[in-house]
Amino acid sequence: MSSIPAPRRRTVLSGLLAAAAVPAVTACSGGITSLKGGGSGGSGAADSGAGLVIGTANFTENQILGHLYAEALRGSGVKATVKPSLGSREVVVPALEGGDIDLLPEYQGNLLLHFDKKAKETEAGELQNALAAELPASLEALPYAAAEDKDVFAVTRETAEKHGLKSYADLRKTDGELVFGGPAEDKTRVVGLVGFRERYDVTFKEFKALDASGPLVKGALKKGDVDIANLFSTDADIRENDWVVLSDPLHMVPAQHVVPVVRSAVADAPVRKALARLGTALTTSELSKLNRMVDVDREDPDDVAAEWAAEHGLTEN
Amino acid sequence: MLQLLADLARWLTGPAQWQGSGGIAVRLLEHLEYSLLATLAGAVLALPLGLFIGHTRRFAFLAINLAGFGRALPTVGLVTLVFLAGGLSMWPVYVALIALAVPVIVTNTYAGMTAVDPDVTDAARGVGMTGPQVLFKVELPLALPLVMTGLRLAMIQVVSTATIAAYVSFGGLGRYIFDGLAQRDLVQVLGGAVLVAVVAVLLDLAMAGLQRSLFRNRPADAR
Repeated sequence: MSSIPAPRRRTVLSGLLAAAAVPAVTACSGGITSLKGGGSGGSGAADSGAGLVIGTANFTENQILGHLYAEALRGSGVKATVKPSLGSREVVVPALEGGDIDLLPEYQGNLLLHFDKKAKETEAGELQNALAAELPASLEALPYAAAEDKDVFAVTRETAEKHGLKSYADLRKTDGELVFGGPAEDKTRVVGLVGFRERYDVTFKEFKALDASGPLVKGALKKGDVDIANLFSTDADIRENDWVVLSDPLHMVPAQHVVPVVRSAVADAPVRKALARLGTALTTSELSKLNRMVDVDREDPDDVAAEWAAEHGLTEN
Repeated sequence: MLQLLADLARWLTGPAQWQGSGGIAVRLLEHLEYSLLATLAGAVLALPLGLFIGHTRRFAFLAINLAGFGRALPTVGLVTLVFLAGGLSMWPVYVALIALAVPVIVTNTYAGMTAVDPDVTDAARGVGMTGPQVLFKVELPLALPLVMTGLRLAMIQVVSTATIAAYVSFGGLGRYIFDGLAQRDLVQVLGGAVLVAVVAVLLDLAMAGLQRSLFRNRPADAR
């Protein structure tokens, strides 16, 4: 797993946007210290008039999650405000540790790597335990959601049926006939060719360096230029094209379930309950639908979150 | 910083780095193949067009503005567009590189042609030269220095942009830049960038030498 958080590697375009946003992020990291002062008094964000302060990282899905958290909390009578798009993990996690924000939507594997660069856990339960051990004493990882945004490797329905593919282990049956498409880093990564070779004893005919779940690799998979592609599990195009995401019985890819990270000081029973209810209702396909509504249909993250929370009965207590 | 330069020097001079299917020698040849083919194709398309509008002075407004529009095309966007339309092949790369070369060659050729003194072309017609004769015996020789400049500019732009081939999984020196960025291998990125720069400068010098030898006997035009 590289140190780049998976959900941030959307497309080349968003990469460029991220590069362009560097000054903005810097400005944010400077501005975070002043979030506290914005409240109506009190020493911590939680004590201010704003209620619980939810921070989010600077990409669509995380913003939607932040607004979903806010809706769920308000539904349980907890006051909450969202500070969207504060920056990358390197910015938001320290903000949480410093008490500038109280709650943060995160992803298991990447969050653990933030605190322990050598972490080897890949399975969701193990990761949750490791997080409990590795997080600073003031922070706590609450139960994780069903929804997961991780690297997956998918084939077309046709390829899956032709070779009888259900899991990564089945790829051995293809005798290295398939062409693999993914970002250039997949060549040297465990979540990529290295893991396939070492964990599953699977090799491919050819490696095409394209992008991760971006227009290139998806276009190539559609046209049959590649047979297996590195996508993100919340990518709505998977469902749209009826692509088959192969399962990972040997846990090559670390689990990346959405997990609320909270300052222990504010994590009282209503907060825990509200987030747990949300986590049960929020599945990967629901999350990818929400992503699509914002990224493709250009709706506002707070609107889609409010609508979804109401639909799923999270806004009434 | 010194460490980085030392690593870079080791990367550039390591014999293992130069050999094999992903070695510098192969990547260099791929890069030259992409660049030279694209420039050549660009010239084949653009030169006749530039000469035509320069000679007849017709459609110049349209052609020059279209060329300006072409220059504004974002190369990555064009590659992605052709990729999505046509699939995984070298076409997206060549289309984008040729689109980069054509406007420069057209505008420079046109500029060279319009810079020819009208008295000279009048005189040529006056002594009974036909249109093609005026074009090839009078206008083109006089416009040649600017035409060559256009070709040189196009070549440099194409060489430095041919790294885009790696964006859609192909080779060339861009492979080092894209792979190095993806793998956080700064030395590889720098190595690729340095090689591209060296190739661009050497090719420009070669073109300059060619230009000079072509116009050796015409001191008034040779610049």
